[in-house]
Amino acid sequence: MKNWIKILCAALLLYAAVFSLWHPMAPGGLAVSATELHPGRNDFEFSGYGTHFKEAEGSLKVYVSIDSSAVYCADILQVVDDSRVFVSVFLPDTISSKRFGFAANNDVDGTIIVDSPVGHEGFVFMQGTGNPDCRYSVRQEEFSGFGFPYQPIIIESIRNLMWHVPMWFTMFVLMTIGFIFSIRALGKEEGKIELDHDLRASSAAAVGLVFCVLGLVTGSLWARFTWGDWWTNDPQLNGAMVVFLVYVAYFILRSSTPDEDKRARLSAIFNIFAFVLMVVLLMVMPRFTEGLHPGKSGNPAFSKYDLDSSLRSVFYPACAGFILLGYWIYRLNYRIQKLEQHHENQN
Amino acid sequence: MRQVFQSTFLQSVGYEKSGVYKLGCIFDRMNTLSALLKKEILLEWRQKHALAGVILYVLATVFVCYLGFQRIESVKTWGVLLWITGVFTAFNAMQRSFSTETAGTQLYLYTLADPRFIILSKAIYNAIFVAVLNLVSVFFFLLFFGTELLDSVDWSQFLLGLLLGSTGLGLALTFVAGIAFKSQGGVGLVAILGFPIIMPLLITIVRHSTAALEGASATSNGLNLMVLLVLNIVSFVLSYVLFPYLWRE
Repeated sequence: MKNWIKILCAALLLYAAVFSLWHPMAPGGLAVSATELHPGRNDFEFSGYGTHFKEAEGSLKVYVSIDSSAVYCADILQVVDDSRVFVSVFLPDTISSKRFGFAANNDVDGTIIVDSPVGHEGFVFMQGTGNPDCRYSVRQEEFSGFGFPYQPIIIESIRNLMWHVPMWFTMFVLMTIGFIFSIRALGKEEGKIELDHDLRASSAAAVGLVFCVLGLVTGSLWARFTWGDWWTNDPQLNGAMVVFLVYVAYFILRSSTPDEDKRARLSAIFNIFAFVLMVVLLMVMPRFTEGLHPGKSGNPAFSKYDLDSSLRSVFYPACAGFILLGYWIYRLNYRIQKLEQHHENQN
Repeated sequence: MRQVFQSTFLQSVGYEKSGVYKLGCIFDRMNTLSALLKKEILLEWRQKHALAGVILYVLATVFVCYLGFQRIESVKTWGVLLWITGVFTAFNAMQRSFSTETAGTQLYLYTLADPRFIILSKAIYNAIFVAVLNLVSVFFFLLFFGTELLDSVDWSQFLLGLLLGSTGLGLALTFVAGIAFKSQGGVGLVAILGFPIIMPLLITIVRHSTAALEGASATSNGLNLMVLLVLNIVSFVLSYVLFPYLWRE
């Protein structure tokens, strides 16, 4: 079959688009109305996201963990609807804390945890001392339905993973194609082959630049939702911006060199420089500097804890689909450029 | 005839494979390089008006900073201003790097020496030149702004960073100036191509200088120094490998 790449690409993208937008979220804990716990009776509202409190009212249990060392059970529960429950917990005289966490157990949703509103860092939900009648345990039977994993700040925007990350992968693939053809363009002595390779390199870089812009836009949207700003001071973001500028400079260099052979040679040299810079900026530097992206100052990628099987089953096809799409557009672009060149030469 | 005899004779005794020959080659290359470097320095020295022009540029930039700021409130501003001055000075110095030579001179040089040595000599010369200019700008900064903020400066670290940053700027910008010169795209092209290329270097050197000025320990600042070194090596290797292709007409 001649067009199998295109059909495969379209099928993968359709699958990724449909599932990344329609796949439900797994339930998770959203927020707690209390900011401080004091001795005596504490009343607050526990709200979940996509939970089934009403449906599983009978089996619902809410736990409070204080300073990662003591657990108490809520003794009065008043379910408002599927995502909200009023909780009242009685604490002994000695307990008072700003570092606390909540967990809710029920038969449908499994265990849901809300971190402490103040000072999340290093907070672990532990049994420790506390009320001996109240045994907290993570329910083995997790949420039975399927859904994307719930992450505290990301929530629904985890769907962007299937759009934002493949853009960068596609850009990397296209820039690598450009890099390889730039090297080959320099390797050949004959003018004709050199020009053809140059054309391939520049077509790939042009499409790669479009994917770079798309990656920046999707990333900017995501940053606005999770980090609060359209642009944040993160090594990966700044690096991506520099990469964008370098490749724009590449096209400025091309357009300001009138002679064809010279343009081919100069832009091939600059492209090699740009590619090396891109690898340094996006793959090496973020590992050394503190940042906001997942796996900061380590491996800049989603770790195995964040990327569960339901995400993987959409994420990998999305990557493959976008890479194929990028390759397809690059081929089209190359052929258009070639035709234009041919046309110019004939006139 | 005598030369042919000599070379065949020397080949027959395996002279070309001997360590003496290889050492001789290295010396030969060093000679070429030092001759080219000498040429660059001589050219600069003979055009003292140009040299004076660049130093005037540094002085004017620092003086404008002084008029604008009067006194610098934070160490960070000190570092950033210093390197903004440094970058613009480097661009200014670099624009003359290739354009002062006519096409005839370049062809003549090309017949005499390996293009690698031409770029190497230019890059080394420019690295030294930018380093000297940056030292001059540090002097002017100290002159105008005083040392009130700089009680805990680690001078050796600061100067090491200044040196590495300057050589990095010199190496990368020489190469970019070569590309811009060959494309005949005008003076502005050096800045357009050069700015994104030196951005990582610039970010790192500002970070390093600021930390050194604040008196950070050598171990905590070592990573920045490492990154600077790596960027220097990368731009050096790329220039060395790619320049012959750039020079080929």
